[in-house]
Amino acid sequence: MNNQYKKGVIELCVLSLLGRRDCYGYDVSEYLSELIDIADGTVYPILRKLKSDGLVTTYLSEASGGPPRKYYKLTDLGKEEYLAAKSEWLDFIHTVERLLKEDSNEQN
Amino acid sequence: MNKTEFLNELEKKLSALKVADIADIIAEYEQHFSFKLADGYSEEEIAAKMGNPEELAQQFAAAETKTRKARSNKALAAVGLGFADIFVAAVFILLYGLVIVLAALTIASVTTGFCLIFGIDGFGLIPPMPYGCALVNAVAFLALAVLSVVAMIYCLLYIRQLGRAYGRWHKNVLALAGGKPIYPALATHPQINPKLRRRLRRVTLISLTVFAVGFIAGYIVCALSAGSLGYWHTWNWFV
Repeated sequence: MNNQYKKGVIELCVLSLLGRRDCYGYDVSEYLSELIDIADGTVYPILRKLKSDGLVTTYLSEASGGPPRKYYKLTDLGKEEYLAAKSEWLDFIHTVERLLKEDSNEQN
Repeated sequence: MNKTEFLNELEKKLSALKVADIADIIAEYEQHFSFKLADGYSEEEIAAKMGNPEELAQQFAAAETKTRKARSNKALAAVGLGFADIFVAAVFILLYGLVIVLAALTIASVTTGFCLIFGIDGFGLIPPMPYGCALVNAVAFLALAVLSVVAMIYCLLYIRQLGRAYGRWHKNVLALAGGKPIYPALATHPQINPKLRRRLRRVTLISLTVFAVGFIAGYIVCALSAGSLGYWHTWNWFV
């Protein structure tokens, strides 16, 4: 899959992950790079963008042994935005799927 | 590219693009490195998987636009906090005033108690009464002294915790306005360990009981020995 294509979706995936639980940056990076083939470092600018858009906030939590970790948490606005983006995305792939299937029917 | 090279390169590109909070960003990548190193990857492997520093810096720059607004928020928050601080300082001065009052009560009670026990009439302030009555009253005064010491301890612990909680809140408001991460809020009531709390409670109960019993017994003993309910008139205390 080409890179430009993935970038838009990653934001949605990050929101989905943060909707389930609060994570620190490395957590998000690890989780996503297991599922999608992206450069490890790209998650951090995305988290920062989500934060400056007000979709996530951060808080520090003192980890046992080691410096405090910065956790990311979905805001109320973030939750709303996620649900809207999710249904938009699902509609979109549904349409694409139908279109591709029609296409393959014609070929047969 | 090793860790230092990667971080230096990223820092250079970020500052060229005038991205804010560069130290914060670098710290996050540094943490990523240390997590990966702990998993046994080499610095070169990690840096290679991280992506191109220049592209990453550009992505940060693109995410930047809205953070500018946070600056003015921060100035506003600082002014607001300045006013809040003035009022809160007044409340803390009042609370310390309460501690001083309790300290004065303690000193007065102890002094009165000892004067009564040893029959010292300091400055002619201790009214005359039979020695038996004086002893009972002395016990009540000493119990009152213990009670006010306990109250003072609670008060000081409360003030300390309240001060900490306010400090944390103060810091968080600034952090929030500046778009920085916040720490969890602190409790406003003191977190006394269970052993000390039990001890304080026991001392309070005992001294309160002794005070109440001593106070009532003092009145009864005085009234009986003077043969009058208003014994202070019989003994001419206020003449």
